Amino acid sequence: MAELTDLRDEQLLRMMQAGDEDAFTTLYRRRQGSIYRFVLEMSGSAALAEDVTQEVFMALIRESRGYDPSRGSLIAYLLGMARHHALRFLKRDQTYVPIPQAEEDWRDWGDAAPASGEDPHSAMTRRETIRSVREAILSLPEHYREAVVLCDLNEMSYEDTASVLGCSVGTVRSRLHRGRAFLFQKLMGGVKVEPTHEAIDGSRCLA
Amino acid sequence: MKCEDFENIIHELVSRRVADTTMQLEALEHAGHCLWCARRLDEENKLTERLQAFATGLQGQRAPARVEVELLQAFRERNQQERAPLLGPAWSRFWHGLGWGLALAVIVATAWIVLVQWPRHPRSPSTTASRIATRQPKASSNAPRASVTPGASEAGSTLKGDAKTQVAHIQAVKQSVPDESASEATTDFISLGTCDDSQCMEEATLVRVALPAEALLAFGLGMDNEYAPDALVQADVALGSNGVPFAIRFVN
Repeated sequence: MAELTDLRDEQLLRMMQAGDEDAFTTLYRRRQGSIYRFVLEMSGSAALAEDVTQEVFMALIRESRGYDPSRGSLIAYLLGMARHHALRFLKRDQTYVPIPQAEEDWRDWGDAAPASGEDPHSAMTRRETIRSVREAILSLPEHYREAVVLCDLNEMSYEDTASVLGCSVGTVRSRLHRGRAFLFQKLMGGVKVEPTHEAIDGSRCLA
Repeated sequence: MKCEDFENIIHELVSRRVADTTMQLEALEHAGHCLWCARRLDEENKLTERLQAFATGLQGQRAPARVEVELLQAFRERNQQERAPLLGPAWSRFWHGLGWGLALAVIVATAWIVLVQWPRHPRSPSTTASRIATRQPKASSNAPRASVTPGASEAGSTLKGDAKTQVAHIQAVKQSVPDESASEATTDFISLGTCDDSQCMEEATLVRVALPAEALLAFGLGMDNEYAPDALVQADVALGSNGVPFAIRFVN
């Protein structure tokens, strides 16, 4: 197992295709967190995040040869599948988006227990920050939300984000800029910053 | 650097994605003497800090362990399915061959039933005739079945309607003709004129009936004085496949 962790995703995938269970386990443990968090941040539902994570890796087991390395990294491919499943669920059941239901799923999100040595005032401030940020993110339109979640929360490159969303890097930048402007308005209560980039064509990245 | 250029790279600047060091220095220098851009940079930094704090709080979030267990189970099953054809070709061939063998046996049995057994069942005129012949009493076996009394035939043809009426009004209940009654003496069969071809004879059935003694007169046969007015005489009536009698003979 120690050597497997040093291998790249694509190498693990090839071993997995040959029936190597350890390679699959390594790949799953390496990438499941990103997928789970992406869906959780997009939907606010831990149950949906769990379902989608399972669905994505089941699809990888069934059709692992559907991945084309020339079209992007494996994590971008997996997140693209996760996005597809998440959007399908979100469109089918819009009740995932409202905050009241999401509140229970988000309850344990890092704000339950204070960090060691953290004073109560700081812990309360941190919890309040997390609560306000998650509400602001969930209130974003989906195409802005996914750009913010991937680039800002998961620190993906613009290129990988563009691969996940199936659009150009310029579109990613534009959506990220506008999404952040919305977030700033909600979180800081400041004057809305008008984006200077081109108008967004939502249909391009929602395919 | 202009404010518009600064705005275009401000996100990369706060997320430290600007690869070009020169451009980064120019942007920071611009923010140093432009109050508007300095304020924008400060706002973006605060927003980034909040988002990073939020993201840090989520770092420990992972799918439950049961998902991994279920996926591993699915992975193993998938592997077994893919390997199955390679693991047991001999067994596969055995079951495959057994299936084909059973199918072949069923086909052969069906063919044997159709080709060998089937022809024994259909009735042919010859077999029907022989069946009638075997059911005829011995006394009449000397006379050819087809030989119908000429005179009686004429009488039958002229009195066909009366004879049919009489048959229709048979008083006695139909009964099976005894297989062997050596003591019986019978007339030849008298045609009733209701059967113009051999078709009706193919399915003929012979039944023993009792008729009024006057029926003898209707078929041109003499009637002894010993018969009482309401006396009955026995006769064998040949019924066609349509149930209509087409020939009759009198017994004793």
